Amino acid sequence: MTINHLTDRPKFSMQRRRAVTGLWFMAPGLLVVLAVTIFPILYSIYMGFNTISLTTHGFHFHWNGLGNYRLLLSSSLFRYAIVFTLVYALVTVLVELVLGMMTALVLQRMAWGRPALLALLLLPWSLITVISAEMWGYIYNGVYGALDAILLEFGIIHKPIVWLGFAKLAIASTMFADVWKTMPFVAILLLAGLEMVPVDVIEAAHMDGASNWHVFWRIILPLIRPTMSLAILFRVLQAFGLFDLPFVLTGGGPGTATESIAVLGYQVMFQDLNFGPGAAVASSTTVVVLIIALAFLWVFRGMAEEGVA
Amino acid sequence: MTKPIGIVVCGAGLLAIISGCGPGVAPGPAPSKKPAAVHKTKAKKAAFVTIDWAASPITQTGTRQHMISAFEKAHPGIRVKLTTMSTNTDTTRAELTTEIEGGSKTPDVYMGDVIWPAQFGHSGLAVPLSDHLPKSFFSRFAPGLAAGASYHGKVYGAPFFMDAGLLYYRKDLLTKASLPVPKTWQQLVSDSKALEAKHLVKYGYVWEGAAYEGLTCVLMEFLGDQGAKVLNAAGNKVLLNSSASDKAVSFMRSLITSGVSPQAVTTYQEPDAMNAFDAGDAAFMRNWDYAWSNSQTKGTKVVGKVGVEPMPAFAGTTEPGYSCIGGWDLYVNPHSAHLAQDLTFVEWMTGAAGQKLLADKYSEIPTNAAVQKNPAVKKLNPVLSIVPKLRLIARPSGTPIYPMISQALYQNVNAALTGQVSPKAAITRASQQILTDLKGHGL
Repeated sequence: MTINHLTDRPKFSMQRRRAVTGLWFMAPGLLVVLAVTIFPILYSIYMGFNTISLTTHGFHFHWNGLGNYRLLLSSSLFRYAIVFTLVYALVTVLVELVLGMMTALVLQRMAWGRPALLALLLLPWSLITVISAEMWGYIYNGVYGALDAILLEFGIIHKPIVWLGFAKLAIASTMFADVWKTMPFVAILLLAGLEMVPVDVIEAAHMDGASNWHVFWRIILPLIRPTMSLAILFRVLQAFGLFDLPFVLTGGGPGTATESIAVLGYQVMFQDLNFGPGAAVASSTTVVVLIIALAFLWVFRGMAEEGVA
Repeated sequence: MTKPIGIVVCGAGLLAIISGCGPGVAPGPAPSKKPAAVHKTKAKKAAFVTIDWAASPITQTGTRQHMISAFEKAHPGIRVKLTTMSTNTDTTRAELTTEIEGGSKTPDVYMGDVIWPAQFGHSGLAVPLSDHLPKSFFSRFAPGLAAGASYHGKVYGAPFFMDAGLLYYRKDLLTKASLPVPKTWQQLVSDSKALEAKHLVKYGYVWEGAAYEGLTCVLMEFLGDQGAKVLNAAGNKVLLNSSASDKAVSFMRSLITSGVSPQAVTTYQEPDAMNAFDAGDAAFMRNWDYAWSNSQTKGTKVVGKVGVEPMPAFAGTTEPGYSCIGGWDLYVNPHSAHLAQDLTFVEWMTGAAGQKLLADKYSEIPTNAAVQKNPAVKKLNPVLSIVPKLRLIARPSGTPIYPMISQALYQNVNAALTGQVSPKAAITRASQQILTDLKGHGL
């Protein structure tokens, strides 16, 4: 924030003029955002307050107040989906952060071969989720799966395990596939953060007799906190929209063990054609995601200012 | 208030946001999209009309085009443009409903699941064919099929081809072990155990047990065999919570715990069961009609070793056991600009010429009664000779909320199959869910 000390008038009005010009240039982009993001969100929220019936002549809206939301809260499917998605986001992001940090630290210290390894790491991240989910489906297959074949070969297990056939195992397997895919993204973000930590500060700390452990906890970690927050924010938002991985890998099963909010929303809206409750599912996620995002931005801004000061 | 388009864009858009642009979100409607051929037609002063037919692949990818060519030859005034849909029925439904509810004029005709008439009729997604076609038209179909495609007294789908659950078995293995073809479930279990004990085969019986629509079909067969029902005839009362249902699900679970079926069947859809069977790893398989032509394909390990029979029944009950009805209907888009041509197309596809082609060349079970009974057709398609023997059972799809009922069934029963909950608990929970759904308080 560099505005505070610029208070003399001519500069201010010039700045304002510039801002107005800027706004004009931004207008087309803003309009697109308005059309494809803001409008659908507001419309969905409106839909969520209605009972919607579909006829040959289109949709009919009947105001239903909080009826759809009461329906959601009374549904064990919705409550489970919320808990599952929250736990899923928490666990995967935490694991990705720890593994990502470890990977980033190793990458930073690599004397040679770093570009090659970076490219390799990006491979899972660049794969389309639907494709990698299909691939994991083959790996986890309970009869012909590669994972079972390897474990059997080495005598670690004695009969094939159906990885996606038990609730807890299926959840863990889905989480593993997610970590495999997105950990590199976190690692690369963190690596960028690590690269920005001034070398002289670390050298000075070492000269003062600080151990590696101390340097990491007291110097490196605080300095890359903004990068970390950003990585966490990205990942939490993505984890909350969890759809393609369980949709392809487990179809939400076994039972409803891996049914995320987005999978449930898809089912209610596009399979059951229950547009009111479906919109309420979607809106409720939007609200939760917005709250998380705003909370993070707030914390992040605090940290950034702290970092600058 | 009428909102034909915005809502779809909106729903799809929002889901795309929360899902990180997942694959399941169908594209929004494209009201301005018209087949190029239409413009050409106008230029040539309407030498022919082009209609758009949306259909998933049938057996092989060439089937539909072959039928289209034959139709165009018979009706030179109509051209048909084929739009390929997903082989996953739920994905196809999501795509079609998004387009049609958005007011799109295309597809003009679409191929849809037999369980859709109530939901689609209720939501105005299909033309009531009985309003436009004479009563005599529907007498061409095998008994019960037109009734199955009806909702509130109107027929919404023209039955296109039929499917039913069948028992496939390995002739060679049964001969080797001198075992009979099982007519009862008890016998299937003992045959399986005997074959497994002699190390002739890895697994006894493979079927579809994943949490999806296919499990509802399998469940319906076992429920029928035990004399259990999901709903009453009027479709407004839940009858599922009974000891007969409990027995049915307990038996399904016992197939897994006894090792007759691999634990992995709880993740199996049709292709998974077929893979295990075609690889020679299973003695018995429950699958649809098309599995026959698949098992006859050169390159699979089981060519010439496969037999097919109606489903087994529980010992002491009427044989054979129940086969769930599947298959596909032809529906007409209410926004289509070419209703007359659409009906001509539907008429031809369900008529003798179209149906014979489908049965002869692609071993599908025709819906046209005359073709079904035709000895020449029967000779070419061995599955057809069993069709008259089958005892058919339909899913409770007479209500627009059928998808919710099916979800309640397959999600809870799948949980019981994996051992998460007891069969009794699964039945109780599914019943409660269906009851809530019927009251309009379900999700």
